[in-house]
Amino acid sequence: MIEFRNVSKKYDTGTEAIHNINFKINKGEFAFLVGSSGSGKSTIIKLILKEEEPSSGNIIINGKDTTFLKPSRVPFLRRSMGIVFQDFRLLPDKTVYENVAFAMYVVKATPKHIRRQVPMVLSLVGLSNKAKVYPNELSGGEQQRVALARAIVNNPSMLIADEPTGNLDPNTAWDIMELLNDINLRGTTVVVATHAKDIVDKMNKRVIRIDQGNIVRDEKGGYDEV
Amino acid sequence: MRYNVISYLIGEGFKSTFKQKKMTSASIIIMCATMFIFGLFFVIGENVNSVIRQIESQQGIQIFIEEDATEEDIETLGNEIKNINGVNKITFVSKEDALNSMKATLDDNQELLDGWDEENPFPASYFVTLTDLSLNEKVQDQIFKLEHVDEIASENNTINRLQELAKGIQIMTAIILALLIIISIFIISYTIKLTVHARRREISIMKYVGATNSFIRGPFIVEGIIIGLISAIITLIILGLSYNAVMGGIGESVLIQDIGIGLLSFSDMFLLVLSVYLGLGIGIGILGSVISMRKYLKV
Repeated sequence: MIEFRNVSKKYDTGTEAIHNINFKINKGEFAFLVGSSGSGKSTIIKLILKEEEPSSGNIIINGKDTTFLKPSRVPFLRRSMGIVFQDFRLLPDKTVYENVAFAMYVVKATPKHIRRQVPMVLSLVGLSNKAKVYPNELSGGEQQRVALARAIVNNPSMLIADEPTGNLDPNTAWDIMELLNDINLRGTTVVVATHAKDIVDKMNKRVIRIDQGNIVRDEKGGYDEV
Repeated sequence: MRYNVISYLIGEGFKSTFKQKKMTSASIIIMCATMFIFGLFFVIGENVNSVIRQIESQQGIQIFIEEDATEEDIETLGNEIKNINGVNKITFVSKEDALNSMKATLDDNQELLDGWDEENPFPASYFVTLTDLSLNEKVQDQIFKLEHVDEIASENNTINRLQELAKGIQIMTAIILALLIIISIFIISYTIKLTVHARRREISIMKYVGATNSFIRGPFIVEGIIIGLISAIITLIILGLSYNAVMGGIGESVLIQDIGIGLLSFSDMFLLVLSVYLGLGIGIGILGSVISMRKYLKV
């Protein structure tokens, strides 16, 4: 599903963010990408989204090498992934419903499909009763749920979350994690970049640990286990 | 589904156009001003061209034929002239015709011509009109080489001056058009940049959920087109009204009527000006918005 083969990334500034990284995340897997800030996990996320290009190596997504993907094909690659950020990134002048529907609109879904799909994902994230509310009237956890709903509304085969609980209190963070787990159980591959130790420990999933641009550990378990 | 996408693009385009009211009206005003100045030169140029065409159809070359030329010579000469490139119409003016036309001109003073009937002093001639005044000198050179040509009379000066005037106006119009395009693209792209900036969050989300660049660009191009179209229509109205006001004044002056050369009315040029303005407005709108979006699409 997501495979990195000898991937290195050196920025124009000269800093080498990741160095010769290899890993493979299979279809339906749940994997944590952990490490302190500056370790290179954000770079890995950006490379998966094709927001950045690798300096060397190959990145294979859904069986396709994206290294030489034409820029005009990138939108279609991104339609196979749902993306969630630490800062939610909702549109403040659109309601919860509109925020989710927006993601379907821009990929030119039919109105009929939108009317059916949006209520369904809103109920999945437990926000059916907040459809007409604006984001600023919601708590942080609820906003992240909207973002999650938006990320999965187009039925992506994978969900990429970059520090999804970074702005949330521990209880809310745990709710979001459970939701991510639910989504994973429905068959979606989930990759979560985080440095929330307690959550990683509690989830007991595969952990890929990055330190100074290298993978120092890749196994099932908690945050720190060696 | 197609319909939905189009209505989305147009709807969003209209929304953002009228959200940035101040900037939108500022760019419309500036575009109108530049388009108006261009329009002035454009209609003046069109008029000069029309005047030149009218003069061209009247203006000709008078070729006087040598006294000793036989009828046969005259006929050959006529055929030779007809074959010269650039010659439109050729009319033979016999000695009698020339005398009669002089008589007609003299009106009440016929006594001046007394006795000339026996020994007509006017030479026979060919009157030649041209297809294109710029060929004037070439045609004259060629005619001079023919036999039995005595003298050529033409309004060389008038023709040359008109040619120069037309060329000057053409150059001015081109320069103003270039300036107009540069200024307007700059103004429109700046206006749209404000909208783009205000909506950069939305744009980045669109990129992340997999919207294509052309889809993201759509509403902004619509915005550019709306600004261009509104400016084109406003300028067209202003130009039409002021043209008719000025023409009302000129039309009454005796001078123009005496020469027998008419200026164009605005309705003669309406379609031409309309299509030039619409083309410019839409073209500049699209270019301006594409330029302003370049930076924001690189996510």
